[in-house]
Amino acid sequence: MKETSNKFLITALLIAIAFHGASMFFTLEGTYDALIHLFFADHYAHSWFEPWNFKWYTGFTVMSYPPLVHQVIAMLSLVAGLKFGLFTVFLLSVILFITGVYRFSLLITANRTVAGYASILAVLSSSFVETLHLFGQLPSIIGISILMHALPEIYLWIKTGKYRYLFTSLSLLAVTVCSHHVTPIFGMIFFIFPLIGMVIMDMAKTQVKTMKLITFKVFFNTFLKLFKRIASFGLLSLIIIIGCILPYWINSKNNPITQIPIPHGSRDNFLEVTSSGLVFFIIPWGVLLIILPYIFYRLFNKRYLFFGLSFAILTILGTGDTTPIPRLVLGETAFNILTLDRFTLWATIMVLPIFGEFIYRFVQGDLKTLVQDRFGAIFHRLTGGALAGLFIFMTIFTISLGYFRPSQPQKIKMLPIVNFLNQDQHDQWRYLTLGFGDQMAWLASQTNAMTVDGNYHSARRLPELTTRAIERLENSKFKGIEGLGSLQQFLTVPEKYNLKFIFSNDKFYDPILYFCGWQRLRQLENGIMVWEKLNVKPLSSVLPKEDVPTWQKTVWGTIPFLSLIIAFFLNIQMLWVRALKLKVKIIPEYLFFKNEYTGFSTPLLKITFLWSALIAIILCFSLYSFYIKNDTHHSPENTIMAYYDALDFKEFEKAHRLIDPKSNVTMAQYMLEISVTDGLLSSYAKLDHLETNITSKNDSLATAIVNTHWITPLEKIDKTHYKTLTKHDGKWFLKPDPLDADLPPDQLYSNNVTNYFNQGRRRITTEQTYHEDVLKQPVLEILSAKLVRYNNHYAVVGEVQNIDNVPADVVLKGTLYNDENKELASYNAKYHVKHKLMPKEVSSFKINFEGIAWTKTEDSIPKTFNPDEFTPFDFEEQPTKFNLQAAGNVSGSDLYKAVVLNDININNNTIEGTLFNSGLKEVTVPQLLISYYDSNKTLVWVDHQFLKDGIRQQRKQNFNYILLDESTVTIINDDMTNCYVNGIPNNAISNKNVPDRIKDHTNTVLQQINHTVYPFIKIELNTYIGNLN
Amino acid sequence: MTNKLTYMAILGLLLLSSFSFMSTDDLEEKRTLMLLTTDISYEAGSQIDLQFSSSTETTPPLYCSNSYGSTIIIPTLENNVLHYKIPSHLSYKSGLVNWTLVDKDASLLGQFQITSKQHVAHLETYIGPPNIGAGGTDYTMLVVIPTDTLDNPLKNNTLVQVQHQFLSNEKSEQIWTKHCIAYKNIYSEQSKGRILIASECLNVHSKEYSVEVMAGLPTNFSISANRNHHYADGNQITTFKTSVLKDKLGNIVSDGTYVEFYITTGNGNILMTFGSTIQGVATAKMLHPDHGAEWIIKAFIDGIAESNTVTLNYMKAIKDFEVAFSENNRSITIGPLQSFMKQMIPEGLQVKLLIYQDHQLIKTIIKNSNLGYSNFNLNLDSFTNGSYELKIKVAGLEKTFKTVILW
Repeated sequence: MKETSNKFLITALLIAIAFHGASMFFTLEGTYDALIHLFFADHYAHSWFEPWNFKWYTGFTVMSYPPLVHQVIAMLSLVAGLKFGLFTVFLLSVILFITGVYRFSLLITANRTVAGYASILAVLSSSFVETLHLFGQLPSIIGISILMHALPEIYLWIKTGKYRYLFTSLSLLAVTVCSHHVTPIFGMIFFIFPLIGMVIMDMAKTQVKTMKLITFKVFFNTFLKLFKRIASFGLLSLIIIIGCILPYWINSKNNPITQIPIPHGSRDNFLEVTSSGLVFFIIPWGVLLIILPYIFYRLFNKRYLFFGLSFAILTILGTGDTTPIPRLVLGETAFNILTLDRFTLWATIMVLPIFGEFIYRFVQGDLKTLVQDRFGAIFHRLTGGALAGLFIFMTIFTISLGYFRPSQPQKIKMLPIVNFLNQDQHDQWRYLTLGFGDQMAWLASQTNAMTVDGNYHSARRLPELTTRAIERLENSKFKGIEGLGSLQQFLTVPEKYNLKFIFSNDKFYDPILYFCGWQRLRQLENGIMVWEKLNVKPLSSVLPKEDVPTWQKTVWGTIPFLSLIIAFFLNIQMLWVRALKLKVKIIPEYLFFKNEYTGFSTPLLKITFLWSALIAIILCFSLYSFYIKNDTHHSPENTIMAYYDALDFKEFEKAHRLIDPKSNVTMAQYMLEISVTDGLLSSYAKLDHLETNITSKNDSLATAIVNTHWITPLEKIDKTHYKTLTKHDGKWFLKPDPLDADLPPDQLYSNNVTNYFNQGRRRITTEQTYHEDVLKQPVLEILSAKLVRYNNHYAVVGEVQNIDNVPADVVLKGTLYNDENKELASYNAKYHVKHKLMPKEVSSFKINFEGIAWTKTEDSIPKTFNPDEFTPFDFEEQPTKFNLQAAGNVSGSDLYKAVVLNDININNNTIEGTLFNSGLKEVTVPQLLISYYDSNKTLVWVDHQFLKDGIRQQRKQNFNYILLDESTVTIINDDMTNCYVNGIPNNAISNKNVPDRIKDHTNTVLQQINHTVYPFIKIELNTYIGNLN
Repeated sequence: MTNKLTYMAILGLLLLSSFSFMSTDDLEEKRTLMLLTTDISYEAGSQIDLQFSSSTETTPPLYCSNSYGSTIIIPTLENNVLHYKIPSHLSYKSGLVNWTLVDKDASLLGQFQITSKQHVAHLETYIGPPNIGAGGTDYTMLVVIPTDTLDNPLKNNTLVQVQHQFLSNEKSEQIWTKHCIAYKNIYSEQSKGRILIASECLNVHSKEYSVEVMAGLPTNFSISANRNHHYADGNQITTFKTSVLKDKLGNIVSDGTYVEFYITTGNGNILMTFGSTIQGVATAKMLHPDHGAEWIIKAFIDGIAESNTVTLNYMKAIKDFEVAFSENNRSITIGPLQSFMKQMIPEGLQVKLLIYQDHQLIKTIIKNSNLGYSNFNLNLDSFTNGSYELKIKVAGLEKTFKTVILW
């Protein structure tokens, strides 16, 4: 028999290359995973045999992910760069997938036309498109593709027992496992076991002539007959799976994943979290949902029975937390580690042959005849058009989802950052990116500098990261308290990680950076703000790493690539034969089991129609409720929700449309009012949730109490608003709020200020900075310091003064010891100090000793978000002594001191007051530092408060501060012998620089309050300015 | 002829006897390994060839060490003389070199000195701290290390000439190197300014170095206040100024010195404003209070200096105000609020409404005046129908309405 080329397959390949090849340039770099694979590839391109990578997480091993795909990209990158490698591998994966589906379909259906149909459908299959173009999971697709190529070989080995098939199937399995470790393990269960079942069925059938006659006994006997082949294949494939990536398994055993699981959308309840339902259920299933009855009918046919079972399990496992079954089946641990979307992916791939078969029967088979006979040709064409339209719509919708709902920030030009890190030895320190999304991986692969963060969360090592369910520090604002809590620890004690530079692409983080003592360096030409921290030492030239034996490195560097070459040579011969039709081919065994495509079952058709109708009804209903929920003027609740939503996303035009048009607030006026409000709440807050309570409502008027809960980088803000709504023409509108009418006295005014500029190195040279260009560290003096305890919470409080003639950046590091001089804890001053001091300026300070929150996994992590939450250090022993290290460095930035305390009123437990901004800059976040003194006027505690609103120039801002309760502070130790400034004993400095100090000089001007424990306080002011221009 | 034969025979015998001598006593012969080189001092960079006489074919290695490290040198044998060429990484460095001939039988040892070249290629100079305080007690230290072309420090007692200039003084002093370095402490003088420092050694001149002499700690000073009018309108700005801040030697303190102004009000509250000096004068601003007040102002540089006390009085700008109720008493209009010339008070005066029910404060509403009026709306959601006590505070004035019935 002369075999002809399969036109369908060739068409499928051509469409696939054109469609995916053209679209990949617009989608791939915006996917979640592609750039991570690129980073790994970059690692192999530079050090093929060395698995240790220093760039992420203070070092991690790339043995935590199978290497083959990365190594192939790395190899190709030698030709024309990393991205060339990535795109080439992408195209290869598309080709492998299409041909894989073809071979798998041929194996299942034994019909070349049906397999051709299936391969064309595979090109545009929404789950395939989603996995590649939205998730960027290259290894996963390559793994499943190779597995599909292996399936016919496995079938033939078990059926015929020819060793040649054993070798080809094992070689392909080796490539699969080297590409993606999870695929062969689950593939064994969900693809290979059913396949073995099918082989046994087929063998049994040859014995008893028809499928109907196969009883369990016949089946079991056949199984025993084939047992040797099955067992030998199983054993050898186990050896292959373990052996090929042995270092990976060793690494997983040595570094088990003990970290807190990271929430993943595929584990959500899809009915509750509809966005997850869309991405992890509706999109991958797509049109297949309509023919589900047909799929189940076909797969529960005796021959495919095992595939049917496997498919049913995959389908249910893919539904996440919608039903309790996946959690029960997988167990709590596996459920929380695995991403369940892969089950849906496999299910949708498994049914592609059946889908192809259905379409074949619909287009040119018995189904066509049946439908045309019963409903007429026009109906057939219409349903065909609808089905095709829906299929194409799902594909287009899926591929462009990233355009409508971008999962990533706008593409960032990396060159300025790379240049910045390369110049002036900036790569001698670690850096951190904020708000980069997965593009941080692309930056990491372009620079030699290292970051404390990373994008492959299974490899996280620092306890500050592994104990929290955060993927990255970089997007910590989306991860609530855990995210910002982790971030704060890195920001407060950056010298622990040699972290000096932060690239911020999201101004949300600015206040937290400022109040943790960071300063802005400059804005790069791509708009990224560079923040730096002073007093951080560079990385040492030798960094610790976890080494592995050389044999592991050799195995890792050679076996995967070797497996690819072996598989290539073992399979290439057949490929050539098949592709070029060089000789008459032996017809594979599986082609003898053809299906009869006559007499499409009428009840099945009816069920399919009923099912489609049901789906259509559900769709219409959900669209309707979606519309009602989103019609902004439909009800007062909707209006309020939409208004705050618009404010949250800074869509002021949309917000303005919700304002009562009869209130005569024009768009220009509204924008003006918005533009003059700045501050923590209006510029740095993200709306967490809001509760609307309609207190009264009639036909035209409603009043509501709106409790809004905002997340800011510094603290959680709850604010209650009273809103009035009116109804015009059946639409609800909000009444506008009154405007603050404070009028500043001066139209134009001037202030003289001293500005500073540090040249850095004065000569343009690549050498290290000359010693004469190094500034002297400003001399600080610790005026007082003591270790205190307040409600089970230890802190070092005191006052520090800059006694030098230049402004200083202050870093205060406290360490606590017990009686045996054992170090118990160490931390830096965070919010409770003015980090920048003018000459002779004094700041009170408090060093809190924060533990790593929820280090014990059994500690319940609160669901609610509170960035200000404080985890006191868990002291096992009583701290009794302290060491305080103050370090000054010259800094000319953030020296704005023009906010004054203009009025104050002392009440029983609150202080009301007014701040006035007398300077030239708009203050974004004012901070009060309140020091408490006991009756001897001894400083015992320091507290702080951030003001929600900013202060414009020459404007006032009221504040209301609630005094501490009556709990007493115990002074544990006030011995200052272990206080050091720039490494020199504080006493020596004090005696030399200010020998005639007037002790407790300003005690006469402490504010008296009505408090039984702390009769005196002092208020200091610190300001963050968002816009420096 | 016979004579000639006799001589040859004797010579032959002598030769023979000498051979027999050698073969019987090897040790005796080995001891003849002897140092031929007599120099024990070289200039850095010169060729150093240690020569030993040797009568055998053996080439024992030479173990050499200086303060940088040690090495083994393999000789070349020429005409019974062993040549040990000292490699450049030893011969370029000044200092003592110890050598030991490593031979299992005869072990010779010795040393030689390498001196630096006596001309300067580079003056390695360090100075610090880069800024010091005026007054003659603080000092900066200059360290000069003259080195030759091979980066060897020059020998002890090399003369280094140090010049430094401060204001009109130009001084030149001589110092001598000791233990490779020459150093000098340069003390500040009475006034602040910049010291320029240069050094010279064997006709090679250094570049210019500078040290900043800064003013010392500020001493007590005086303050003054400046304002447009003396009314408490809550809108104009009072400016405080210090006298020129100087240290005890009369130097103006560094720009940026931080001065805190504490204001004690009549009722004992403490307000604060801040300024930093420019040419010794710090300026701070404060908004006028919105109610009559007495301010006692004193400025501090914490722990170091303080000012005199200045008292300011602010007269009431608003004498009285009216309150009007409407819309079931739920709308309260306060005003007109008129200032000292009967003009409407500028926008932004704080008006406070305190609402009590059953003698309990239930809510405080603060609003800023607008065009001389302020309007409050007590909506039904927050305030149910009933009787309330309202207190209105404006500009230090207070009005109480004991029973206001809202309906």
